[in-house]
Amino acid sequence: MADLDTDFTSGDAGASLTFPMQCSALRKNGFVVLKGRPCKIVEMSTSKTGKHGHAKVHMVGIDIFTGKKNEDICPSTHNMDVPNIKRLDYQLVGITDGYLSLLKDNGDLREDLKLPEGDLGKEIESKFESGDEFLVSVLAAMGDECPIAIKPMSS
Amino acid sequence: MMAAVGAPEVISQLESAAKVLMAPPSMVSTEQRQHAEHIFLSFRKSKSPFAVCKHILETSKVDYVLFQAATAIMEAVVREWILLEKNSIESLRTFLLTYVLQRPNLQKYVREQILLAVAVIVKRGSLDKSINCKSIFHEVSQLISSGNPTVQTLACSILTALLSEFSSSSKTSNIGLSMEFHGSCKRIFQEDDLMQIFMLTMEVLQEFSRRENLNAQMSCVFQRYLALANQVLSWNFLPPNLGRHYIAMFEATQNVMLKPTDSWRETLLDHRVMDLFFTVHRKIREDSDMAQDSLQCLAQLASMHGPIFPDENAQVTYLAHLVEGLLNMINGIEIEDSEAVGISSIISNLISTFPRSVLTALPNELFASFINCLTLLTCSFGRSAALEEVLDKDDMVYMEAYDKLLESWLTLVQEDEHFPRGCFVQPAVQVFNSYIQCHLAAPDGTRNLTANGVASHEEEEINELQEDDRELFSDQLASIGMLGRIAADHCIPLLTGLLEDRVTRLHGQLQRHQQHLMATADPGTVDRKVLDDLYEDIHWLILVSGYLLADDPQGETPLIPSEVMEYSIKHSTEVDINTTLQLLGSPGEKATSIPGCNRTDSVIRLLSAVLRTSEVESRATRASLTGLLSPQMGKDIVWFLRRWAKTYLLVDEKLYGQISIPLSTAFGADTEGAQWIVGYLLEKVINNLSVWSSEPELANDTVELLVTLVEKRERANIVVQCENWWNLAKQFASRSPPLHMLSSSVQRTLMKALVLGGFAHMDSDTKQQYWAEVLHPLQQRFLNLINQENFAQICQEEAVKQEIVATLEALCGIAEATQIDNVASLFSFLMDFLSSCIGLMEVYRNSPETVNLIIEVFVEVAHKQICYLGETKSMKLYEMCLTLLQVYSKNNLGRKRLDVAGEEDQYQDLLLIMELLTNLLSKEFIDFSDTDEVFRGQEQSSGAGRAVSAADVVLYGVNIVLPLMSQDLLKFPSLCNQYYKLITFICEIFPEKIPQLPEELFKSLMCSLELGMTSMSSEISQLCLEALSPLAEQCAKTQEKDTPLFIATRHFLKLVFDMLVLQKHNTEMTVAAGEALYTLVCLHQAEYSELVETLLSNQRDAVIYQRLADAFNNLTASSTPPTMDRKQKQLPLSTPSTTQRSLSPCQTMEMLSAAQAETPMGLQTRMPPERGERPAKAERGRPVGHDHLSLI
Repeated sequence: MADLDTDFTSGDAGASLTFPMQCSALRKNGFVVLKGRPCKIVEMSTSKTGKHGHAKVHMVGIDIFTGKKNEDICPSTHNMDVPNIKRLDYQLVGITDGYLSLLKDNGDLREDLKLPEGDLGKEIESKFESGDEFLVSVLAAMGDECPIAIKPMSS
Repeated sequence: MMAAVGAPEVISQLESAAKVLMAPPSMVSTEQRQHAEHIFLSFRKSKSPFAVCKHILETSKVDYVLFQAATAIMEAVVREWILLEKNSIESLRTFLLTYVLQRPNLQKYVREQILLAVAVIVKRGSLDKSINCKSIFHEVSQLISSGNPTVQTLACSILTALLSEFSSSSKTSNIGLSMEFHGSCKRIFQEDDLMQIFMLTMEVLQEFSRRENLNAQMSCVFQRYLALANQVLSWNFLPPNLGRHYIAMFEATQNVMLKPTDSWRETLLDHRVMDLFFTVHRKIREDSDMAQDSLQCLAQLASMHGPIFPDENAQVTYLAHLVEGLLNMINGIEIEDSEAVGISSIISNLISTFPRSVLTALPNELFASFINCLTLLTCSFGRSAALEEVLDKDDMVYMEAYDKLLESWLTLVQEDEHFPRGCFVQPAVQVFNSYIQCHLAAPDGTRNLTANGVASHEEEEINELQEDDRELFSDQLASIGMLGRIAADHCIPLLTGLLEDRVTRLHGQLQRHQQHLMATADPGTVDRKVLDDLYEDIHWLILVSGYLLADDPQGETPLIPSEVMEYSIKHSTEVDINTTLQLLGSPGEKATSIPGCNRTDSVIRLLSAVLRTSEVESRATRASLTGLLSPQMGKDIVWFLRRWAKTYLLVDEKLYGQISIPLSTAFGADTEGAQWIVGYLLEKVINNLSVWSSEPELANDTVELLVTLVEKRERANIVVQCENWWNLAKQFASRSPPLHMLSSSVQRTLMKALVLGGFAHMDSDTKQQYWAEVLHPLQQRFLNLINQENFAQICQEEAVKQEIVATLEALCGIAEATQIDNVASLFSFLMDFLSSCIGLMEVYRNSPETVNLIIEVFVEVAHKQICYLGETKSMKLYEMCLTLLQVYSKNNLGRKRLDVAGEEDQYQDLLLIMELLTNLLSKEFIDFSDTDEVFRGQEQSSGAGRAVSAADVVLYGVNIVLPLMSQDLLKFPSLCNQYYKLITFICEIFPEKIPQLPEELFKSLMCSLELGMTSMSSEISQLCLEALSPLAEQCAKTQEKDTPLFIATRHFLKLVFDMLVLQKHNTEMTVAAGEALYTLVCLHQAEYSELVETLLSNQRDAVIYQRLADAFNNLTASSTPPTMDRKQKQLPLSTPSTTQRSLSPCQTMEMLSAAQAETPMGLQTRMPPERGERPAKAERGRPVGHDHLSLI
């Protein structure tokens, strides 16, 4: 994950981290902010109190970075925050002190992303050491950034 | 093996094994338990165990061992029947019966098992002329006349065991005999023995019903015989000449109606039989258990029909007696809760069984009393059902009884032309009134009032899975609606009056709230109680009105119900048309404030009452009172309007013999009324979509109303003349608020409606303009966006992503609008998009949610359009899908995702891809494409050589899917199903492509088939078996040996052989497995012989060896050598357990008993229906393995 003190306005100046959307317009597989965290909606259902009550939306989401489950219930007329999600592919050109050196499309280099922990990190390291050329997909939302996938470079 | 050991050793071995089995789980190990089970299994398979078993029964004190001995006798008798001396069988039976008689203190489960053995012997002997088992009835009648309750109970147990055994229902024991055998036994039994049992039972019941005071023990005996009588009267009489396939279906019927053969005439047409049951019921009605049996006996008698009645007169006399008895029974008593369902069953059975002509032939007075009684009962059960709801009872007996009676009313009045004119009007009024009363709040009604008049008002959480009342109570509402039509003169004005009153009150209440809110500005202080009561009243009034005025609009063209039409015509002379139109056209005014409102058409006035409700709702939304409204009421309104519009709007005079002038003037084609109402409905839809976007169900009902308005060309023609329609179209095209806040499914349906509207009749300029405003903006916006130079940079911006998602959703909606007459233009429109979509796949390769939606667009297009497409167009679609899959594959190959949503995303992609492939394949079965187009297509397709076939696309797709499928993913049931459906389709449709598959793909396909056959659900297993025949046929066609497919099919032969002969399998699979085995045997005859040889060589006993060998010979005798001729396959070569389909009963019996003795797991002929009783019996101590007769 990116360091918290990273200046996250540098990427897209002025772009807000979230935008509002009426609860009923959210969709399963879409994204929403639950408990302050960007989540992917894995379950959505409605209910009402009494036969003539108004709909409430019950949402279950999983934190896209940590996998933690979050739930919320709110009147369906309310607005919820939806995170702006970005996914970018970078070519991996180096690993230094646990940080990835990633090549942007425009030729710039960024070196602010840590080598992730766990299986993906190990895979990145071993692939890199064996000289494979590959892309790293980075997921960014609400100021957090995290490599989530790798893919061999298509020749 | 047992024979070699002395009896005392056997007993001690069995007794210690029993101790292990009975021990608490913590005391014995699994191995010990299995060993003990094995001891019993092999004991039961031992040869001629009769002497040992007798010895056990006489000496052992362990109940479980006694039980096993009885079981062993039962199984061995059937297995060795033809080898046994007849008199030894006879003496065995006598021994068992005497044994039980002499030991009154036996454990119940041991006694029942011994009696079961007796019953099985009697049954097995019933077809064998050399042995006479009839003396048992004589013995039983002596037991009964003993007067000793214990002995009488035992007699009852014997009879019950016989009945269960001969009924060939799920209660019959699994003794491994053929369906024909069971059928023949049953036919003989029901002509003679069953009647004897019935007579014996009747004697006992008569005897008991005469006695004044019954002690507990006697009462218990009484109850058992009553239950036995019920069992006889519920006998599913097997008609003569019923084919073997039908027997299985027949025996599976629930709710058996009594249809005895004519030999029962004297017995059952004797009035004393029926009288006895009425007397019995009167005597025991306070005992709720016994009352259920006695009422069930009467209900069975009420269902009697068939050859037992010599003529209609006999039926009339019988029915008259039944109805008299029933009325005598009910009148003057207060019905117990436990009687409600039984009494309503008697009534519903007699109404559905006896023909109208018999009912009308009843004496007038009797018929009138019956109808009167039915009316009172219905109203009373309805009130009690309402009470049950208030008290939230678990067991809703009155609701069930009420449902039955309402259904009976529907049966009665649907054919009311047979009855005296108007005879149902008054009853209909009463039942209708009581229904309305139960559903309205006090003071007019009694809703939510408990018996002592206290109101209960609870607000419970209702989730989206809970059905709406209109579906939950659809049967009740259909009956009430029908009764309302019968008594239209009363019911239509009643509903109108009540609804107008509630709407006026609602209006007033909302106004008061508005003033209150303006004064305090605190919505929290609003008391919703009064409002909710009004909403609930209106809810029910609208539902009943909807069901009364129109039928379920699922059919093509629902007609105005004739009663409603006649009612309107009858009063049309008193009606002022102009006032009626004025009333209709002014939903904002109070109906009663219109001068002359009493001279208006009542049918139209009821509709306009709903329109008034709708208007109050719309005005409240404009006054920002939406929060106070009921979305449920909103749903009711649009539901009603949709149902109404399908039937009444643009009423077509040609469809009716006579038509009501008010109705045709107000709603006919080319009338101002019709135009006005279309405009009104459209305005309602638009208003709802903007204020109710947050209520998914209401928005959905609303948009469905819109679809109804445009899906018929005639209605659409008027719709497109409305300015509002164009505004809606423009608004949606511009994606401006509030329509974009609707849920995605509502947006799709809205798009569908807008497209359907475009096919209405318009002059060409207008049409061009319409498409320019509806579809072209979609295309334009999309092209502008994706053609921007920096699209790749901005594609991740939220606004851009939303635009893309909205476009894809709209494309799905457009595909949904496909009909045969618009497919040509929609297809070309969509094709332009599909190629751009493939480009998007590339751009959004990292956004799984977008990729998913893109695939969904393809799924929808293939689903809705492929069946209409000619060759050239199909080809284009195939190519497009192929490209899509290639891009998907390229982007996902080698890609490793380790984030949290990875698996779920992949699952959804795969599911959609398989759905897409299945949709493409469906072209092979469902094809509506015009042959003309096919010809034109051939002329056009210059490069026919590079044409892509469905097979190529599908196999390519499978190539992508297979490597991604993992055992984990197959745990998603929907994915697993879709996957196996797909591969079975492929094997069936393109067997010739299978040998050409790349090696890896071929291997995984075969592995999948084996996995599916052996370790998935029976449904999947069946699919896999179905895939095998075409593969074997393919091999036979090419004649090539040693191809991978040839080798694979050889492996499958062994699998299927083992499955059928050696393993327990589900009968549902017999047909598929039989067919697969047949073709596989044809292909690999040598290997089949080897399998049979191996099986035989394991058998050391010469007699049994011969029986088994003969059985296998018989199996193939009809077709040696077997060939893969289509016709032959209809008579599939049967494995021992499927022989019932091709061998005579005797052969089958012979073979099965032989095979049971031989094969490792044992064979079984399962009696359909599935043995529902099995678990209960197992609990009673039946050992594991009983139901597959394992005998080695």
